[in-house]
Amino acid sequence: MGFLAAGLGAGIVAIGAGLGIGMIGKSAVESIARQPEASGDIRGAMILTAAFIEGVALFGAIVCVLLALNITV
Amino acid sequence: MIYLIRRTLILLLFVSFTSFLTYAADPVEGEEPVIDVMGKVVDHEYFEIFNTKIYLPRIFRAGGQWYVFSNTKSALKSGEFEKVDGALVRTDGEPITLDMSITSHLLYVWFGILFALCITLWASSRYKKGVGRTTEPKGISLNLFEVFFVFIRDQIAKEYIDKKNYAKFVPYLFSVFMMISFLNLFGLLPWGVSATADLTVTATLAGITFFITQFNGSKDHWQHVFAFPGVHPLMRIILTPVEILGLFTKPFALAIRLFANMLSGKILIICILGLIFIFADIFGVVIGASSGVVWVALTSALYILKAFIALLQAYIFTLLSAVFIGMAVEEHHHDDHHSPAELDEAGAGV
Repeated sequence: MGFLAAGLGAGIVAIGAGLGIGMIGKSAVESIARQPEASGDIRGAMILTAAFIEGVALFGAIVCVLLALNITV
Repeated sequence: MIYLIRRTLILLLFVSFTSFLTYAADPVEGEEPVIDVMGKVVDHEYFEIFNTKIYLPRIFRAGGQWYVFSNTKSALKSGEFEKVDGALVRTDGEPITLDMSITSHLLYVWFGILFALCITLWASSRYKKGVGRTTEPKGISLNLFEVFFVFIRDQIAKEYIDKKNYAKFVPYLFSVFMMISFLNLFGLLPWGVSATADLTVTATLAGITFFITQFNGSKDHWQHVFAFPGVHPLMRIILTPVEILGLFTKPFALAIRLFANMLSGKILIICILGLIFIFADIFGVVIGASSGVVWVALTSALYILKAFIALLQAYIFTLLSAVFIGMAVEEHHHDDHHSPAELDEAGAGV
């Protein structure tokens, strides 16, 4: 049961994080295409936002690891 | 080019062949070989190099008394302690309440600090002599140092912290960047351990950021926490707890992010190499060992990715630290978004 939950959880986390980072990438590339001279600032903001999303996704991933390894905290 | 590809393929074949040899040569008497995934990641009481384990001193407190042993074995030999489920317990059943032992992760943190210290001291001695200030920086090392330092100062500190007092935080940001980079990169060495894959290490680093943030918080920072300006007083009943919670979730997320990134990289590599043994179990040793070519190639690619991620995570930790410090030290100009009445209440010109 724990394994099933961990697998499903990891999948859902990947969906969420993928959607989020994909949207960041989409808008960043669009903005760079529109304004190539601002690409440095946009890249910084992109990495910052991606880091926030990644952090949330990794919370989920860690919970999944704990479930799969059957560790009780 | 073809020569390079051929050499790479021979190398890969050789690597997968040696993995086959170690698997075949390992005599298993009646039990399945178990790969201890978490055992490779968690902290140990020994420092491993060239397949030899150097046992480190144990310092701990049990039953209101301090004990110091040169290693775990001598603690067991003294007869006062015994091993229960892998943990030391006093023979009369008193557990260890405070463990201050020197562990492999702690040792690697010290190495990281030492490396960062040596490099910065060396660079500062060069700058004191005038190299790089009155003349151009000489040599690859000094130029590389300057690239990193100027990057941290201009792209991170100056960008996200108030123009007036960013200089105060550059030393912290630069040293934390250097240290985390080294700690992450140590994990790529053979027998190496990345200490940042330990929540206690990252939590300590995030804690330092938290204290620096709070001690340098401006009047506006605290006003936004306890009495958010420009909203109805009743709204503050909801906003104040949220803001107080927000103070703690920021460093918490900082610690978890670094820890989870480093841990997941390690687990991923162990899992992919473990596929060799899973394939060997299902399809036989020959197919398992020859599929190793694929997995070893994949692991090599992941290693390159990990080397990149090591620096990226150090950058992200430094960047977010700078953002949080910048948010706290910033002094708002209240006239842009608050009513004049609020301005008088808060003391005009803050």
